Amino acid sequence: MLNQAFFVTWLAASVGLAGPVLLAAQGEIFAERAGVLNIGLEGTILLGALGSYLAAVATGSTPLGFVAGGVTGLAVGAVLALFYVGAQASQVVVGIVFNILAAGVASYVYDLAAGTSAPTIGLLRPVHLPVLSALPVLGPVLFRHPLPLYLTLLIVVLAQVVLFRTRFGLALIAVGEHPRAAHAAGISVARMRVIGVLLSGLGGGLAGAYLVTAQIGLYRDNIVSGEGFIALAIVIFGRWSPLRSLLAALVFGGADALQLSLQLFNDRVPAQVLLCLPYILTILAVSGLLGGRAQPAALMLPYRKE
Amino acid sequence: MLLAALAAFAVAGLLFIPYGTDPLSAYAFLFAEAFGSLRGFGFTLVQATPLILIAQGTVLAWRAGLGYVGFEGCFVLGAAAAAWLALGGTPDGFPYALPPALFFPAVLALSFAAGAVWAGMIGVLRVRFRGNEVLTSLMANYVAAFIVQYLVSGPMRQPGSLPQTPRLPRDTWLPYLIPEARTHAGILIALVASGLVAVLLRATPTGYEIIASGINARAARYGGIPVARRQMLAILLAGGLAALAGLGAVLGVQHRLMDGLAGGAGFVGIVVALLARLDPLAVVPAAILYGGLEVGGAAMQRDTGVPSAVVFILESLVVLFILGSGLLRGWRLPLPWSGRWRATSRKAAE
Repeated sequence: MLNQAFFVTWLAASVGLAGPVLLAAQGEIFAERAGVLNIGLEGTILLGALGSYLAAVATGSTPLGFVAGGVTGLAVGAVLALFYVGAQASQVVVGIVFNILAAGVASYVYDLAAGTSAPTIGLLRPVHLPVLSALPVLGPVLFRHPLPLYLTLLIVVLAQVVLFRTRFGLALIAVGEHPRAAHAAGISVARMRVIGVLLSGLGGGLAGAYLVTAQIGLYRDNIVSGEGFIALAIVIFGRWSPLRSLLAALVFGGADALQLSLQLFNDRVPAQVLLCLPYILTILAVSGLLGGRAQPAALMLPYRKE
Repeated sequence: MLLAALAAFAVAGLLFIPYGTDPLSAYAFLFAEAFGSLRGFGFTLVQATPLILIAQGTVLAWRAGLGYVGFEGCFVLGAAAAAWLALGGTPDGFPYALPPALFFPAVLALSFAAGAVWAGMIGVLRVRFRGNEVLTSLMANYVAAFIVQYLVSGPMRQPGSLPQTPRLPRDTWLPYLIPEARTHAGILIALVASGLVAVLLRATPTGYEIIASGINARAARYGGIPVARRQMLAILLAGGLAALAGLGAVLGVQHRLMDGLAGGAGFVGIVVALLARLDPLAVVPAAILYGGLEVGGAAMQRDTGVPSAVVFILESLVVLFILGSGLLRGWRLPLPWSGRWRATSRKAAE
C-alpha cells in the first residue's frame, strides 16, 4: 500500500486540499500581526464563494468569478474594519456575530438570485506547468494544479517578503506587538489595522472563490464548513509566519487526504483520529504549554488613542 | 439600545419586499406563529431552551473575564454522555439500565460533568499556562465534534443505518410539558439554571469575586480574591450548562445521538447573552425572543417561501447595531484615506 504511487497521490491531494485555507490564512496573518483576530473569516469565505459563483454564472466566465470573490471579500473586509477598528468593539463578539449574519445573508441572496435554477459553472482546469510538471514526484505533487494554487504559492512568498522585509510589514508587526510604541514612532495604528482586516477580507474572499471555481463548481449554503476556522488554526500553527503557515496547511491537508484514502483501504484507524490531530496540535501551539507566547502581544486588544 | 433593535427590524424588514410580502404583516405573522398560540409558544420554548443554557454559560465565563467560545463542543459532548447513559443495558451504552428515579439525577450529573471537564481543560490552559482561551476553545469545538462523529459512526452506531445511535428507550425521554408542541422538561432545567446563575452572581460572595476577577484580575488578586480559582469555577459551570443544552437535545427532541447536533446553537447562545448584556435574568426573555424568531421564520418559509435566513440576519443585525450605535453617535471613523483622519493622527503625534 505504501508504495511510491500512493505517496505521490496522497501528497498531490494534500496540496490540493491545503490550497484554499492557505490562501485565506495569508490575509489573516496580516490582520493578526496588526492585532486583529478576524473570527469572521468563516463568513468572509462564504460570502466570497457566493459572490464568485453568482458572478461566474452571470458573466459565464469562471476567471471573472474568481476575481469577483476577491472583490466581495474586500467589501466584507471594509465592513468588518468598521467594527473592529472604527467601533473598537470586542473582536470576538464582532467575529462570532458576523459569521451568523454572513450565513443568513448568503442563504438569502442565493435564494433570491438563483432560486431553483442553480447551474454548475465550468471548473478551472489543472494547468500542467511546462517542464516542471514532468519532474518525477515533484511534478505531479506541485505542478499539475489549477491556477489559483500557483497564485496562492506566489502570495505566500510575497507575503513573507512584505511582512518581514519591508517598512510596511515591520510597521504592521509593531502595531500588533505594541500599539502605543508604534503610535509614538509615528505609525498609525488604525491605518495598519484597517489594512490588515482588508487583506484578511481579500484572502478570505479569494479562498471562497478558490473553492467554488477550482474545486466544487456550484454553490450550496453549507459549501464552507469550517475552512475559516481551519485557516485561523493554520495561522496559529504556523506561528503567524506565511512560510510556516504553508507547512501548517500541508499538515491539515495531509491529514484530510490521508483519512480519505485510508477509508478505501481499512477501517481500523478511525478517520476522526487523523482529522482531529491537527486541531490538537494547534491547541498545543497556543496553549502556553510549549512556553513562550508566540501570538502578537496586542492580539484582540482594541486600541484607543489618548 | 431599543433604537438599534428597531433599526435592525426595519432593515431586515426590507428583505421581505422582494418576496411580495409587506414587512409589517410579515412581522405580525411571524410573531403570531411564535407567540400567538399555546402550540406556537411551546415550539418557541423548545428553541429557547438550549439558547438559555448556553447564554447562561456565556454570562458566567465572560463575566469572569474568559473569552470562552467552546459551547458547541460542550453541547455535543453533553449530548453524547446523556445518550450513552440512556442506552444503558444495550451494547451501545452504559452496562446497566438505571431505574428512572436514579437515571435522571445520574444523567444530569454525567452530562454536566462531561461539559465541565471539557471546558475545564481550556480553563486550565488559560489560568495556569496563559494560553489564549478564545483560540483553544474554538479549536476544541472541532475535536469534540470529531469525537462524537467517531462515536456515532463506530462504537455507538446502530448497525445498518445512518451514522447515529439507536433510538433511546422511552423511559429515558424527558417528559413533555406541552404535548402538542413536544415541549420537553428541558425548559425547566434551563429556568432553574438561570435562577441559580442569577443568585450566584448577584447574591453570593463567590459571585462577586467571579465578577471582580473579570473586571480587573490584578486588582481582584490584590484584594485577596483567588482569581484563578474563581475563573476555573466559572468555566466549569459554563461548560456544564452548555452540556445540559445537549442533554435536552438528545433526551427531549431527537431521542438519539447523531452528528451535527448543535447546529450553531453554541454561537447563537453567545449572541443571546450579548443581547442580554451578560445579565442572567435578561437572558431568559432574550432567548425566548430569539427562539420565537426562529419558530416564526420557519413557519414563514413554509407559508410564503421567504427564506428563514432572514431570521438569522435579523438576530445578528440587532446585536451588530447595538455594538455599532456607539460608533454612529461619535462618528469619527479613522480611515486611511480621509483627510480628517490624517489631521487627527498628526495632532496626536505632536
